[in-house]
Amino acid sequence: MKSSPLTILFLVLLFQENLFSATADRLLIENTCKGTPSYNLCLSVLLADPHSQNADLTGLAIIAVYAVKNNGYQTLQQIEALKKFHPELMAALTQCGEVYKGVVDVDVPLSINALNLGNPKFAEDGMADTAVESQACERSFQDHAQTSPMTNANKAMEDVANVARAIIRMLL
Amino acid sequence: MMASLSDVENSITTSTLPYSYAPLPNGEQPAGNDRPVHSSRKTALFLVSVFLAVASLVALFAGNGPVLPKNLNTSAVPSTAGMPEKVVPLSRGVEKGVSEKSFHPLLGADNSFPWSNNMLDWQRTAFHFQPKKNWMNDPNGPVFYNGWYHLFYQYHPDAPVWGKIVWGHAVSKDLINWRHLPIAMETDEWYDEQGVWTGSATILPNGELVVLYTGSTNESVQVQNLAYPADPSDPLLIKWVKYPGNPVLVPPPGIDNKDFRDPTTAWKTPEGKWRITIGSKINKTGISLVYDTEDFKTFELLDGLLHAVPGTGMWECVDFYPISKQGENGLDTSVDGPGVKHVVKASMDDDRNDYYAIGTYDAYKGKWTPDNPTLDVGIGLRYDYGIYYASKTFYDQNKQRRVLWSWIKETDTEASDIKKGWASLMGVPRTIVLDKKTQSNIIQWPVEEINLLRTNLTVFKNVVVESGSLVPLNLPSASQLDIVAEFEVDKKTVERLNVADIAYDCAKNGGAAQRGALGPFGFSVLAHEGLAEHTPVYFYVAKGVDGNLQTFFCADQSRSSNANDVDKSIYGSIVPVLKGEKLAMRILVDHSIVESFAQEGRTCITSRVYPTKAINNNAQLFLFNNATATKVTASVNVWQMNSAHV
Repeated sequence: MKSSPLTILFLVLLFQENLFSATADRLLIENTCKGTPSYNLCLSVLLADPHSQNADLTGLAIIAVYAVKNNGYQTLQQIEALKKFHPELMAALTQCGEVYKGVVDVDVPLSINALNLGNPKFAEDGMADTAVESQACERSFQDHAQTSPMTNANKAMEDVANVARAIIRMLL
Repeated sequence: MMASLSDVENSITTSTLPYSYAPLPNGEQPAGNDRPVHSSRKTALFLVSVFLAVASLVALFAGNGPVLPKNLNTSAVPSTAGMPEKVVPLSRGVEKGVSEKSFHPLLGADNSFPWSNNMLDWQRTAFHFQPKKNWMNDPNGPVFYNGWYHLFYQYHPDAPVWGKIVWGHAVSKDLINWRHLPIAMETDEWYDEQGVWTGSATILPNGELVVLYTGSTNESVQVQNLAYPADPSDPLLIKWVKYPGNPVLVPPPGIDNKDFRDPTTAWKTPEGKWRITIGSKINKTGISLVYDTEDFKTFELLDGLLHAVPGTGMWECVDFYPISKQGENGLDTSVDGPGVKHVVKASMDDDRNDYYAIGTYDAYKGKWTPDNPTLDVGIGLRYDYGIYYASKTFYDQNKQRRVLWSWIKETDTEASDIKKGWASLMGVPRTIVLDKKTQSNIIQWPVEEINLLRTNLTVFKNVVVESGSLVPLNLPSASQLDIVAEFEVDKKTVERLNVADIAYDCAKNGGAAQRGALGPFGFSVLAHEGLAEHTPVYFYVAKGVDGNLQTFFCADQSRSSNANDVDKSIYGSIVPVLKGEKLAMRILVDHSIVESFAQEGRTCITSRVYPTKAINNNAQLFLFNNATATKVTASVNVWQMNSAHV
């Protein structure tokens, strides 16, 4: 068909409309992340989930908590792998396995539940607990006088949990 | 009609969400003289219009416009009591007797983690209210009715973590021994489907009992509901009825759906109506709304607020009650008059502490003003400087006293709570009166019935504890104790001392291992013999530049346990000590909870402690004096505490 100015206009309007709503939601995400201790981490976590495009603050908090869950699962896999290749670290790794299981089985469902039931205070507790557990895992290597192979993983979990916690605090 | 291009443009650029709806063009060509439209232009316009229609529908269903977060500061996540801190004390030099090493964990200490059943079983208390298992939080509707004390509480029957909450219920004759009853109210209505949340009871003059409570609806809206006993002649009040016309209150205009909860006990107005207050917030200002009612079914919102304090955030569990200026008794909630002050208390959602202030209530305006605005609600005094939240008082007409209940949460991990199968306690109920000597704070003291559990008294009279020394107190057992003690520092030393102390803060000054001239000294509870684990509760006397003494009262959890997943904060505050008063301390030790009171209840600290070694027969009690410049003389009564039915 003939490339008419109207077709171009149509495409421009299409684009502009997308940009308009995308800008508004992007602004919410950016402002929210500014209130967390790790702006870039927060951005990447929220933007990685397409639901963040249309989410309100509670929705963003839920996305962040799911990121904690995913992180927890990955860390559990890492622990299993470490157990195979570093049997000398078994005691500490077993403890870490327990605490990360706690994160995934207890802390995350508690936080999601609290956000859905409308009492974010308890969601904050779940994420605070997650940070404690990741620190406990890190310390368990020190307690066995060993070097931790999980320092980055534990720090990463602590950081994501603190991002989630900061977003949840905005709901209080 | 053909939508003009400018119309379409305007509707996008000038409207805010949701978009205005542009009508679909009439696809038919009118017969007659209209110029034929090029088909491509028509197609383009049609597509644009369809797109706009779809966009507006999507915007409509996707919800409201962007919600800006309320706090745009880039402040770091605040550290609260939920996060353990590693405290590294600074030494002022090793003195004879207690070396600072004793106040540190032994290097290479056994790692006690993971938790054994023995350790977890020990944590359950002997005389603090707690359900048999699973999760509890706020106390609800406490009341004395028809010869029984009732306590309801936020209860999650399915797990030892918070969840869909119902009202648990228990009764007692003495506030100490309890009979657990069936759940009083479940989440069985749309208006409390997501939780039967906190509420209060009011006894009407005709003897009727009514309860107002917050329901979280199926859409997460916070509403207030009315409930009453199904059979008022049943002294145990086992069954409850929800008013068919619920909810009786919904969030008023300007108040968010999630900022409207925890209605108080009602009190009488000068017009003879009933009045309640409900906490909320507007932006970051904590407020308390006021409602009048004649029947607890229809309410009138007063124009003004009971009170508001900027920057304090959401006010949960607001409490409002009179205290007598001269008398020693509590007062019914409706009492007012010249001999009366009023207390406003609120639980601050932002920092999880309970704050109160004393002031004057204007019953005609429905307003309250604090005596000291610098110590206003949320920025001034706390009921307790440790773990103490969502507290609520009731007037006990049985013994004419005002009694305070509070939720004491766990400060271990959720995973430990799951393992041990329960979480949370209630503090020992306390009476509240105005401190007649200072006139500017209340005094809290464990209800006298707790003394009935005392047995097997051991007296230690005039024990001299030299500077830098530790005195073990020989006791049959040390997990269930009531300790009452007085301390005297050496007066001459105090007078001679001309070194002014640096500013002291319980939380920041290194705990009991940080030595000053005149402190710290006190007790180490739940202590292991090598002090690998111990919990010091102590006074720290600081002499200021002006020569005046300030006394601090602290509880130090930094060495309370070898476990690396429990809270190890240090709590405390200044305690006013008046001329001629000895330093007085009372400590209730009940396994994993320690409640400490200074100067007969002027300053209170509740701690949760989770030792791995200092349990059962290995728990001990020590006196210590870590002051560098003075000896301390202590007179101590220690009772073993029997277990109650809890």
